[in-house]
Amino acid sequence: MTTRLRLDTGRRPDGTPVLTAAGEIDMSNAGEFTAAVAGAVPASGRLVVDLTAVEYLDSAGLITLFTHAERIHLVAPALLGPVLTVSGLTELTTVDIA
Amino acid sequence: MSAEHTESPGRLFPGKGEMARRVRDYPWAASPVGDPASWPESMRTALRICLTSRFPMIVWWAPDLRFAYNDAYLPLLGTKHPALARPGAEVWGDIWHIVGPMLESVLETGEATWSEDLLLPMDRHGYWEETYWTYSYSPIHDDCGTVRGAFTAVNETTERVVGERRLAALQDLGAQAGTARTVGEACGLVAAALERASADVPYAAVHLRSPDTGGLVLAASSPAGADPVPLPGGPGGWPLEEVLRTGRAATVGDLAARFGELPGGSWGRPPAEAVVLPLPGETGAEPVGVIVLAASAGRALDEAYRTFLDLVAQHTAALVNGAVAYQVQQHRAEELAELDRAKTAFFSNISHEFRTPLTLIMGPLEELRAELSGFDEHVREQVEVIHRNGLRMGRLVTTLLDFSRIEAGRMQARYEPVDLSVFTAELASVFRSAVERAGLAFEVDCPPLPQPVHLDRGMWEKVVLNLLSNALKFTFDGAIRVALGTEDGQAVLRVSDTGTGIAAEEMPRLFERFHRIPNVRSRSEEGSGIGLALVQELVGLHGGTITADSVEGAGTVFTVRLPFGHAHLPADRLAEPGPAAVSATAEPFVQEALRWLPRPSAAQEPPEGPPWAGRHPQEGDGGPDGAAQDGTARDGGARQGARVLVADDNADMREYLARLLEPRYRVTAVPDGLAALAEARLGRTDLVVSDVMMPGMGGLELVAALRADPRTAGIPVLLLSARAGEEASIEGLEAGADDYLVKPFSAQDLLARVRTNLELARVRNHHAGWRAAMVASLQEGFFVCDSDGAVVEINTAFTDILGYGPEGLPYPPQYPWWPAPSVDPEAHERAGEAYAQLMGDRRGSFTVPVLHRDGHRIWVAATFSTVEDPETGEQMRVGTVRDVTAERFAAQREAALTAMSVRLSQASSVPDAVRAALDALGGLWHTRSVLAVTWRGGGGEPAVTGPDGGLRWQDLPEQRRRAVEALRGHPPLHPAASEDPAGLGVTLDHPEGLLSLWLEPDPARPFGDEDPTLLGLLAGHLGQALRRAHQTDQQREVALTLQRAILGPDRLPSGFAVRYEPATRPLEVGGDWYDTVELPDGRIGIVVGDCVGRGLSAATVMGQLRSACRALLLQASGPAETLTSLDRFAALVPGALCTTVFCGILDPGSGRLVYSSAGHPPGILAHPDGRTELLEGGRSTPLAVRPGHPRPEAERTVPARSTLLLYTDGLVERRRRPLTAGVDQAAAAVGGGRGAPLEELAVRLMERLAPEGGYDDDVAFLLYRHPGPLEVSFPAESGRLAQVRGALREWLARCDLPPRQAQGVLVAAGEACANAIEHGHRDHPGQQVRLTATATADGLRLTVADSGRWKTPDPGSNAHRGRGLTLMRALMQQVTIDTGDGGTTVDMQTRIGR
Repeated sequence: MTTRLRLDTGRRPDGTPVLTAAGEIDMSNAGEFTAAVAGAVPASGRLVVDLTAVEYLDSAGLITLFTHAERIHLVAPALLGPVLTVSGLTELTTVDIA
Repeated sequence: MSAEHTESPGRLFPGKGEMARRVRDYPWAASPVGDPASWPESMRTALRICLTSRFPMIVWWAPDLRFAYNDAYLPLLGTKHPALARPGAEVWGDIWHIVGPMLESVLETGEATWSEDLLLPMDRHGYWEETYWTYSYSPIHDDCGTVRGAFTAVNETTERVVGERRLAALQDLGAQAGTARTVGEACGLVAAALERASADVPYAAVHLRSPDTGGLVLAASSPAGADPVPLPGGPGGWPLEEVLRTGRAATVGDLAARFGELPGGSWGRPPAEAVVLPLPGETGAEPVGVIVLAASAGRALDEAYRTFLDLVAQHTAALVNGAVAYQVQQHRAEELAELDRAKTAFFSNISHEFRTPLTLIMGPLEELRAELSGFDEHVREQVEVIHRNGLRMGRLVTTLLDFSRIEAGRMQARYEPVDLSVFTAELASVFRSAVERAGLAFEVDCPPLPQPVHLDRGMWEKVVLNLLSNALKFTFDGAIRVALGTEDGQAVLRVSDTGTGIAAEEMPRLFERFHRIPNVRSRSEEGSGIGLALVQELVGLHGGTITADSVEGAGTVFTVRLPFGHAHLPADRLAEPGPAAVSATAEPFVQEALRWLPRPSAAQEPPEGPPWAGRHPQEGDGGPDGAAQDGTARDGGARQGARVLVADDNADMREYLARLLEPRYRVTAVPDGLAALAEARLGRTDLVVSDVMMPGMGGLELVAALRADPRTAGIPVLLLSARAGEEASIEGLEAGADDYLVKPFSAQDLLARVRTNLELARVRNHHAGWRAAMVASLQEGFFVCDSDGAVVEINTAFTDILGYGPEGLPYPPQYPWWPAPSVDPEAHERAGEAYAQLMGDRRGSFTVPVLHRDGHRIWVAATFSTVEDPETGEQMRVGTVRDVTAERFAAQREAALTAMSVRLSQASSVPDAVRAALDALGGLWHTRSVLAVTWRGGGGEPAVTGPDGGLRWQDLPEQRRRAVEALRGHPPLHPAASEDPAGLGVTLDHPEGLLSLWLEPDPARPFGDEDPTLLGLLAGHLGQALRRAHQTDQQREVALTLQRAILGPDRLPSGFAVRYEPATRPLEVGGDWYDTVELPDGRIGIVVGDCVGRGLSAATVMGQLRSACRALLLQASGPAETLTSLDRFAALVPGALCTTVFCGILDPGSGRLVYSSAGHPPGILAHPDGRTELLEGGRSTPLAVRPGHPRPEAERTVPARSTLLLYTDGLVERRRRPLTAGVDQAAAAVGGGRGAPLEELAVRLMERLAPEGGYDDDVAFLLYRHPGPLEVSFPAESGRLAQVRGALREWLARCDLPPRQAQGVLVAAGEACANAIEHGHRDHPGQQVRLTATATADGLRLTVADSGRWKTPDPGSNAHRGRGLTLMRALMQQVTIDTGDGGTTVDMQTRIGR
C-alpha cells in the first residue's frame, strides 16, 4: 500500500506548465513525484509545482524539489512553510505560500 | 415465520469453538428444550452471546433448568462435561441444594442474584474440592416479559480466595517475628498461627533437634496436643530423621494407612497428603529441626500449595532461629554484666569485711599479750598462735585490698628513686634466718646498680618477700639465690631456687589469680593463690615484667625486669626519696615462713609489732631502759619508742633536749611552732615538748592550734619556759598545755614529766585510740567537718575513695574534689547544693558526682548528722561516704538500656535502627563523635553512618579509620578502647555482615571503667533490634507483595500511573485501593476507594468491593449506577459501611470523564498552565449509608496535557491540619510536576507529601495524563508510513498542538521512521519499528526505535538522508541518536508553544 497522492499536469492561462499534487509525499511515493516533476519541467521557463493540496512532505519529496530548484516555482500551503524554510529550499527557488 | 427463523444453526450459533459446534450439532428438536426456532429471540441471543464470549457463561432453560455453556466454562465443569441440555439438578447434584433454589427464585421473581466468592464444595476432578465462585443469575425474558430462562456469568475465584487466605496465613506467621524470647515460645506462636490457618494447614507438628541428645523432640503441634500415632502394621511414622539428615523435603501420600484419620482442619475431611520439610538453621548451619505440614483434602497439593508450605516452613525456621539467637545474645550480655558485677562486689567487699573483725581481734589481743607476760608459758604459747595467725590473715586481707585497689585504680603508689641493691639486700636479709633455719643455702648477690630505680617501697617489699616466701615454701634442699644486675638497660632481679619446680602444663596459669598448682610437695598447704598474681600486678605498675622458668624437680627462676628512670611512671606519683627502712610489712611474711619450719627455740623469734598500729604508736611503745620505771613491760629499742616532738628556736637547747630523750624515745626536733604544728598534723607525734618563746608561732599559740585540730587535740604538750611564776604557768595551762616546766630544769625532772604525761595520755587516749582504730577500720569513708564546713578529719577508706589523704587536712570548701564549674557545670551545681544541705540540715544524706584526685569521676553517697563538740560546743558535722559509682552505673546502665530499647522499638528499618542507636549513644555519653560502620559480606567499601546521615569512608581521618578497622579484630560484643584517637568501639552482627560502633568522648568526660561493659550491653541490644528491624523489612516486602497481589490490575491502560503504600508504623496493609477496568467500548473505568479500618479485615472488605465494583462497571451504564449497585452490595458485606469511592468512566480518546463520588475526597485536575481545579461534582454519601438512593453524576472533559490525580485520604490527611490544606498541598504538588513524566511525578508525589516518619495511614493514588502515550509498532516497509502518520496526526490533535508545530513533529517523526525503514530493509527486512510519543504539560517526546544501524549522514552519496537529519534537528529542540548492537533509537523532544 502506498501513500495517497494525486498528480495532475496542466497549463496556466499564460501557458506556464503546472503540476498539481494532492495528498502526501513520502519515501513510498517520492519516485512517482520525481518522475512527474521531471516529465513536466519545460525545456525553457519554469514549472509551477502546486502543493496547495499536499498535507505532508518530507525529505524524500524535498530532494526532487532541490534537484529542479532552478526550474520550478512552488506554490505551497502555510502548513508546509516550516519544512520548506528549514530545509533551505525557499532560498533556492520562488515559493508562494497560498 | 420470518426468514430469520429459518436460518441454519450455523448462522444462528456461529463460532469455531467446541461448544459452538456441539450446540449446532445437537438434536434440539428431539430434546425437551425444542428446536431453536421455537425459542424466544432473547434465548437465542443469550445463547449466541454465551457461545461467543470468552467469559465462562451458562444459559438455562425454564422450567427444568437444562443448560448450555461455552468453551470458557469447560475447565469449571471438569469431568461433568459433556452435559449440554441436561437438567442442572442431575449434573450439579452435589451443589444443587445451594444453586437450585437461587435459580428457581430467578425464574419465579425475575430478579437477578449476585453471589461473591461463594464456597461450593465440588467433586469435579475425582475428589471433594474446595472451590469459590462469583456469579450472577439474571433472568431472560421473552417479548411478553415472561421469564423463559436464566443467564449466568461465572467467575471461578478459587485461586484468588485461597491465594489471599494463604498470604494472610503467611503474614500472620510473619507477624510473630521478634516477639518470642525462647524457642518454646516461638514454637507455640507458630502452632497458634497455624491453628488459625487450619483451612490450609489442617495438621502441623514442629520437631526440633534437642540440644542435649541431638535427637528430634516434638516441640509444638496444631491443633494443640495432636500427636498421631503410627498404626500397628502400617508403613510407619513420619520420615523425620530422613528429612533432617538429607535436608530435603519429603511428601507422605499414604496418611490414612500410616495414621488413620488426621485432623481435617476447617475443611473437615481428613488430609490425604502431607509434606515433611527441614527447618533450615541460620545461614549455612544444619537444620534445627523438621516440620510436618498436612495439606488440606480440599485442595490438590500442587506447585502453589507446595510453595506455600515451603514458605510456612521458612517462616517457622526464621522464628525458631530468631528465638535461638535472642537467647544466645541475651545470655552473653547477662554473663558479661554478671561477671563484672561479681568481680567488683567481691573485691570491694571482702577485704573491708575482714578488716573490721580483724581489728577487733588484734587490738584486744595486743593488750592480752602484754598483760600475759608473767603468765604460764602454755597460755602464752596459745596466745602467740592466735597472734601469728591474726598476722597471717591480716597479710591476706592486705593483699586482697591491694588487688581491689589496683582493680579500682586506687592504688596509692609513690615512686621514689631507690638504691635497689641496698634495699633488695635489706629485704632479703629479713628472710635469712628463716632460710638458714630450713637448712638451705641463701645466696644474696646484689652489686650496686649504675643508677637508682623508681619504686614504691611498699610494693617492692611485697614483690621480693612474696618471691622469697614462695621459694622457701617449695624448696627442701639446696639453695635459694637472690641476684640483682643490669641487662639491656633494665634492672633485673632473679630469685631462683632448687625446689620442686613447676610442671610445664601449669606454667601458663602460674600468674593467674586464685590459681593454685595442685599436688605439689610444699612446706605448707596454706595459700590463697594470689601471691604471684599480686607480684605480677605490682611489677606491672612499675612498668616492669616478670617471667618464670622452671624445670620440674630441679627448680624455678623468677625474673623481674624494671626500667630505669621514671618516664614510664605517672608524673603525679613521683616523690622525693624518703627514709630507707624495711617496714612492718615484712614481719608477717617471715612469721608465716618460720611457722613452716621446725622450731628450735622461742628465744630466736624475731620481735613482733602490730603492723596496723603504725600511726598510733601510743599503744604498746616504751623504752627498754625505762621499762622498770614505767612499770610497763615493753620491749624494743628506741625505734619502737614513743615519738616526741621537740620545738625550740635555740639550737643548743634543741640538741640537749634531743640528747636527753633519744635513748628512750624517737625524737624529732624543729625550730619553731609552725614546723611543730605541721609535724604534729602528720599524726606521728605522741608528745610535744615546746619552748614558749619562739619566733613565728610561740608555744602558747602552738598549744591553741593543736587543740583546735581534732587530729592533734589529744597530743599532750609540755611547755618549757624561762618565765617563772604562777601566772605564767597558769597561762600556759589555760591555753591547754598538759604540763609546764620552768627553765632551768633537771634532766631527771624532764624525763619524769615526759614519762608521766605519756602514760597519762596513753590512759586518756586509750578511748581516742580505739575510736581512731574503729574509724580507720570502717568500711565506709568517714569525715568530720567543723562549723565552717572544712573537712578536718578523714579515715583511710575516705582516702581510698577520693584519693585525698590526711596530709592535706583541713580541706576547706570548696573542696578539691568538687568538679570545676568550667568542666562540668551541672555536677558543680549539684556539689554546691549538697554542701548547702550538709551545712543547713541537722542530718541527711545526698548523692553527688565528685572527682577523684587522679581525675576520674566517681559518685559518692554521703550520710551526715550534727554533733556538738563536748569541749568547745562547736557544731560539727560527722558523716560517712560510700562509693556508689558502680550502683550508679548499674542504674544508669538500666536507664540507658531502657532508653535505647524505646528508641530502637520505634525504628522500622535497619538503617533507622542504626541511626536511633547512634542518637542514643551520642546522647548517653555526650560524645564528640559517634559513627557506625557497616562491613558488608561481599567486601567493598564499608558504609559509614553518622548521627546526621551518611558519610564516606575515605573522608574519615586516617587514624579514625585505623581505629575502626581494628575493632573488627575483636570478637562481636567485646568492646575495645583505643588511645589515639581516644575512643571506644565495639563490633556486632549486622544482617548484611558486621557493624562497628565507634565513640570518641568529650575530652572533659573521658570514658570510665564501666563504659566498655555498658557499650557491650547496648551493642547486644542493638544487635537484637537490627535482627528485628531486618525481619520488619522483610515483612514489609511481604505485606506490599500481598497488597499488590490483591490489588490489580496487572497491566495498566496507557497514560496511567498508580501507587500503593501501606502505613509505615505500625506496618499494616489497609483498605485503600485503585483499579482500572477496560470496558468493551474502549472506555476505561477508574476506581479509587478507601475502606474503613486497617489490617487484613479491611483488606478483605477491600478485595470484595473491588471485585464487585469491577463486575458492576462492566454491567452498569455509568458511574452513578455502578455506585448505586455497589451500595446494595456493600450493605451485605460486614465492614463495608462508609467506604468512600471515586468511580469514573473515561473516554481516552476525547478525555471525557463521567464520574460519581461516594464521599471520596475530590479529584485534582492540573491544567497545562499550572492552574488546578477540584472535581467536586457528583458527590454523595459514602457506601451503604443510604442504599437504594440514586446517586448524582458529573462530567468533566480532561483537557489536553492536563493531569488528573485521584487518591485516598492517607495522601492528604494529617493530624492537626484541615483536610483542605492537605488537598491544596497535593494540588500544588501535581501542578508543580505537570511537566514531569507520569511515573516520575508519581515518585515525586509520594516523597513530597510524605509526613516525617512515613505515612501513618495507607495511601493509594492514581494519575492520568491526557492523552495517554501513543505506541505504534509497524513492519519496516515504506507503505506503512501513511498509516503511522495518520495515527500520530490524530494523537497530536488530541494533544492540542498548534497545527504548524504538529506538522513539524510529523515531519521529524516521518524522517526518523524513514531512516528506520531504510535500516530495516538493508539488514533485517520485515523488522519491526516502534514509535512512541508521550506528552507532558509543556513538552513532547518521541522515540523511534529499530533494530538496524544508523546510517552516518553522508551528503555526497545520499544527500536527502542527511537532509532528513537536518530537518529533525531543525524541527525538534533536542535530538539524540543512540546506535547500539540492538538497533538505533532516535529520541526527540520539543517544548510546546502557543
